[in-house]
Amino acid sequence: MIKTPPYLQPGDTIGLTCPAGYMSYEKAATCISTLQHWGYKVKVGKMLGSESQTYFSGTDNERLAEFQRFLYDDEVKAILCARGGYGTTRIIDRINFKKFKKKPKWIIGYSDITVLHAHIYGNYKTASLHAPMAGAFNDGVVKDEHNGKVIEDQYILSLKNALEGKKGKFACNPHDFNKKGEAVGELIGGNLSLLVHLMGTVSDFKTKGRILFLEEVGEQLYNTDRMLYQLKRGGKLDKLGGLIIGGFTDTKDTDRPFGKTVYELINDVIKEYDYPVCFGFPVSHSKENYALKVGVGYKLKVGKGKVTLEE
Amino acid sequence: MLAASVLPAASVPAFNDDEEESGIIPPYLKEGDTIGITSPAGYITLEAIRPAIQQIESWGLKVKPGNSIGKRDFSFGGTDSERAADMQQLMDDPEIKAILCARGGYGSVRLIDQLRWDKFKLNYKWIIGFSDVTVIHSHLCRNFGIASIHSKMCNSFPDDWSKAEPIQVDTILSIKKALMGEKMNYTVVPNEKNRAGIAKGRLVGGNLKTLESLCGSKSDIKTDGKLLFVEDTGEYLYSIDRMFWSLKRTGKLEKLAGLIIGGFKIKPDDPGEEFGRTLYDIVLEKVKEYKYPVCFDFPVGHQKNNFALKCNVVHELRVGPRNVQLNEER
Repeated sequence: MIKTPPYLQPGDTIGLTCPAGYMSYEKAATCISTLQHWGYKVKVGKMLGSESQTYFSGTDNERLAEFQRFLYDDEVKAILCARGGYGTTRIIDRINFKKFKKKPKWIIGYSDITVLHAHIYGNYKTASLHAPMAGAFNDGVVKDEHNGKVIEDQYILSLKNALEGKKGKFACNPHDFNKKGEAVGELIGGNLSLLVHLMGTVSDFKTKGRILFLEEVGEQLYNTDRMLYQLKRGGKLDKLGGLIIGGFTDTKDTDRPFGKTVYELINDVIKEYDYPVCFGFPVSHSKENYALKVGVGYKLKVGKGKVTLEE
Repeated sequence: MLAASVLPAASVPAFNDDEEESGIIPPYLKEGDTIGITSPAGYITLEAIRPAIQQIESWGLKVKPGNSIGKRDFSFGGTDSERAADMQQLMDDPEIKAILCARGGYGSVRLIDQLRWDKFKLNYKWIIGFSDVTVIHSHLCRNFGIASIHSKMCNSFPDDWSKAEPIQVDTILSIKKALMGEKMNYTVVPNEKNRAGIAKGRLVGGNLKTLESLCGSKSDIKTDGKLLFVEDTGEYLYSIDRMFWSLKRTGKLEKLAGLIIGGFKIKPDDPGEEFGRTLYDIVLEKVKEYKYPVCFDFPVGHQKNNFALKCNVVHELRVGPRNVQLNEER
């Protein structure tokens, strides 16, 4: 049975840290004020806006220590990773999840944070939140200067709803490549590069009977093809309950063109399977990025007129 | 009668589903033998492989270009089926004694599961190439324990042999040596970051990105007790770091006999995203708790000094203060 961390109550504290790349405090300011506006306290870790002069928000030890502190801290009810980048892999094997196993809390983020989602789901059977991070609030939240009213877009709002324990129900437009059908299963997935990077490791994930979602940014078409072949040859695609293809944005091509669009190449790799598939689901490195609970059961309905994903 | 019928069967090696205990060495080539050329990945013209054909013919070998040469499906040397059929035909043809891949690029993984190995396992032969062809080396090693040659391909043969640089001549001729059964012996200048030591084991490895893309599949290499060599091109430092973590977290670094780092053409960091660690930092950090020898700058990779290496053949690696030697077991 999958463990679901307790949902948040007004007045609860969210810890904000950067387990991977560096982020300035300014870039997270809207996120912090919005979380406060939602009624939460925010414990801002030292990794955000740190003195670090490198790619990372801090040394491995510093990033690890802060993440660990938030995991141990009973006051912190959820940990929001302010940004991804690269670096979670470097500390994942040193994080102590002993207390977390007994008293889980929501771990929130995407992209590089896929490492945490897969690791936690696979090893501790605990749900986590694949959702917008701090930077997304800058584009997704508008403050009305006259009355101070905060207006969040539906994607940022989906994180608020998820934290409050509201069940997620999302719809997206149909796509020509969609395969109709219904699937019920636990949700697993995230960034394709990170998912294949975890194959064969202790953070590897099972997909049988589950609904897998994938998104990617800035990848070469041939490399995306190779990663899908890795999933396929690693037995991750043949026994799925359903498949959700999110945004594959900012794709790159070689001088000799690959000759297919990214959705065409994905469709070719999975065409032999019968389970429902939807393309263009709003989970991506763009603004269109709904909060999805990894490990939690969802129903995917791919119909002629519409696609829904319901918790 | 019984003895006679048993004898030929006994000369056929037994194959496990998983890995062989000892490497199987395909027969070396002799004058008059034929090499087939195929393109399991990227597209190449017959014109572009002519310098390779001429050079190989000058070694007293015959060359048979396969059907995929000159075929094109966008970036590929023909459709997956066409490339697989070509490779299959060369694998199964008893007249073909070795298969040279014309070039890398991307695509071997798309056909590897379409290949049937039953005939090849009884009539194994050298398969030659690197980069994307790492898929084939790894698959052969993991599944059948059959040796293969990691080396330059047709697209690296100089157009005009008389004007070739010495390093081009030496590296191309190292393919001939490997194919004709000479023992491979390399002595290279040590890098100050090397970790000294002596180790013996079968050579495995190739392109790091390609090796990572095989993790979790039936072509994934095992490295315990082996000498692992890796090279890569066009990758960011952070990505190289992540790939070494993959090696480590999939258990490929812990029980190595030795580690050989070839050429790494590093993609410069984007402004503001400086990784702040060198290739040396990245590698040495991952192996600091182990004791085996490590050498950097070995002449293998996407570069002119890319010498032929026999995968799955036992070598001795000697990393010393004055030089580094990699010698095939005598």
